[in-house]
Amino acid sequence: MREYLSQIGALLRKDLMLELRTRERVASMAAFAVLVGILFNYAFDRSLVRPQDIAAGLIWMTIVFGGMLGMGRSFRTEEEEDAMQGILASPVPRDAIYLAKVAANLLILLVVVILTFFVFWLFFGLHFGGDPLPLVMVVLLGTLGFVAVSTLFSAVSSRTSMGETLLPILVFPVLVPVVIYGVSGTARIFAGRPIAEIAGNIRMLGAFALVALAAGAILFRFVVEE
Amino acid sequence: MTGKLRGTALAAGILGVGLVLVVHWLVFFWVSTERSMGVVQRIFYIHVPSAWVAFFAFGIVAVCSVVYLWLEDERVDAAAVSAAEGGMLFTTIVLVTGPFWGKIAWGAWWVWEPRLTLTLLLWFIYLGYFLVRRSTENPQKGKKFAAVVGVVGVLDIPLIHLSVAWFRSQHPGAVVLKPEGPTLDPGMLTTLFTGLGAFTLLFLSLFMYRYGLERLTHARAVGRTPAGQEPQPQGVAS
Repeated sequence: MREYLSQIGALLRKDLMLELRTRERVASMAAFAVLVGILFNYAFDRSLVRPQDIAAGLIWMTIVFGGMLGMGRSFRTEEEEDAMQGILASPVPRDAIYLAKVAANLLILLVVVILTFFVFWLFFGLHFGGDPLPLVMVVLLGTLGFVAVSTLFSAVSSRTSMGETLLPILVFPVLVPVVIYGVSGTARIFAGRPIAEIAGNIRMLGAFALVALAAGAILFRFVVEE
Repeated sequence: MTGKLRGTALAAGILGVGLVLVVHWLVFFWVSTERSMGVVQRIFYIHVPSAWVAFFAFGIVAVCSVVYLWLEDERVDAAAVSAAEGGMLFTTIVLVTGPFWGKIAWGAWWVWEPRLTLTLLLWFIYLGYFLVRRSTENPQKGKKFAAVVGVVGVLDIPLIHLSVAWFRSQHPGAVVLKPEGPTLDPGMLTTLFTGLGAFTLLFLSLFMYRYGLERLTHARAVGRTPAGQEPQPQGVAS
C-alpha cells in the first residue's frame, strides 16, 4: 500500500511539475473562466434576472466547459514521443497511473474552480452563504466526479483520430448526474437553505465520484494497453 | 455466416415483418380508442415496444462489452456492435414517435421528463460508442474503446435515472408492469404484446444478420493480413 501511494505520489509530482513549468492548462482554463464571466455579464439582462438566482448554473457550466479545455490535454505530454510507453514499461500498476492523473487533474481544476468563484463574486457581487463546508463538499465531490470521468475518456479520445473534439460527446451524456446534483445543491446553498436539504446532493455526488473512480481505475488498463 | 444462423435470421425476420404488419392492422382497425387521449394513443403500440427493444439491446451491449474486455473474443465484440446498431435504430424510433404523441397529449414536442431524458442520453451514449469505434487506426483499439464506453454507459444509467427522476414525472405511469397486474384493456394488451413480439423478432433478425456480416468482415480482414503481419502496400515493385 505504501509503495502504491509513493508510486502515485511520484507520478503526481511529475504532472504537477510539468504544469508548474508550462502553466499551459491552468492558464488557458483560467483565461476561459474570466472571459466567460465577462460574456455572461452581457448574456442576460441584470435588471430582469438576479445573478444570484442563476449563478449556480452559470458557475457549473463555466467549470465544465472550461474543464473540458484542460482535461482534453491530460495526456498530451504522454502522447508526444511515446512517453506513455515509458510509463507503462515502469513497474507501476495501471490503476495507479490513472489515479495519479486524476489527482493531478483535480488539483489543476480546483485552482480554476476557485478562480471561477472569485470571478463570479467579483463581477456579480454574489454571496456564497454562511457555512463554507457544504459548498466545499458539493464543489469538491462534483469536480472529482467530473475529473474521474473526463480523465478516462481523455485517455480514449487522445488515442483516436477525432482527438479532443470527441471528448465532450463522450463525457457530457455521462455527466448529467453531476450537473443536476451539483447545480441544485449549489443553488440551494446560495439561497441559504439548511444543510439537511443539501445532504442528499452531497451523497449522490459522492456516489457518482466513487463509481466513476472505481470504473476508471479498472477500465484504464484496457485503454492504454497496446 | 453459417447456414443455421442465416436460416434462423431469415425465419425471425419474416415472422417479425409479418407481425409488424399485423400490429399495424390491429392498431388502425381493431383495437378500441383510448378514452382520454383519443386516436393519438395508438402510437403507444409502436413506441413502447421500441423502447423495450432499445433498452434490451443496450443490456446486450453492456454484457458483451464486459465479456469482450475480459476474454477479447471477437465473436463477443461482433455481438456487441450488432446489438448497439439495433439499439440505436430502435432508440431513434422511440425518440421520433414520442414527440408526435407528446405534441397532442401534452401540447409540447419535448418535456424534460425522466424517461425522455434517459432515452435521449442513451442515444448519445450509443453515438459515442460508434464514434469511438470508427476513429482509431487500429480496429482492435476501437473495439476496446467502444467496450469501455459501453461499460461506463451502463454503470451511469442508474445514476442518470435517479438524477433525472428528481424532476416531477409527466410521463404516463406504468400500465402493464405493475405489482397488482396490468390495468390495460385486454384488447390493448393483446395489441401491445403483438407489438413487443414483432419488434423483438425484428431486432433479433437484424442482430443475427449484422452479426453474420461482422464475422464475415472480420474473416476477410484476418484473411488478408495473417496474424502479426502488416498489410502489404499494393502496387509497390519490390
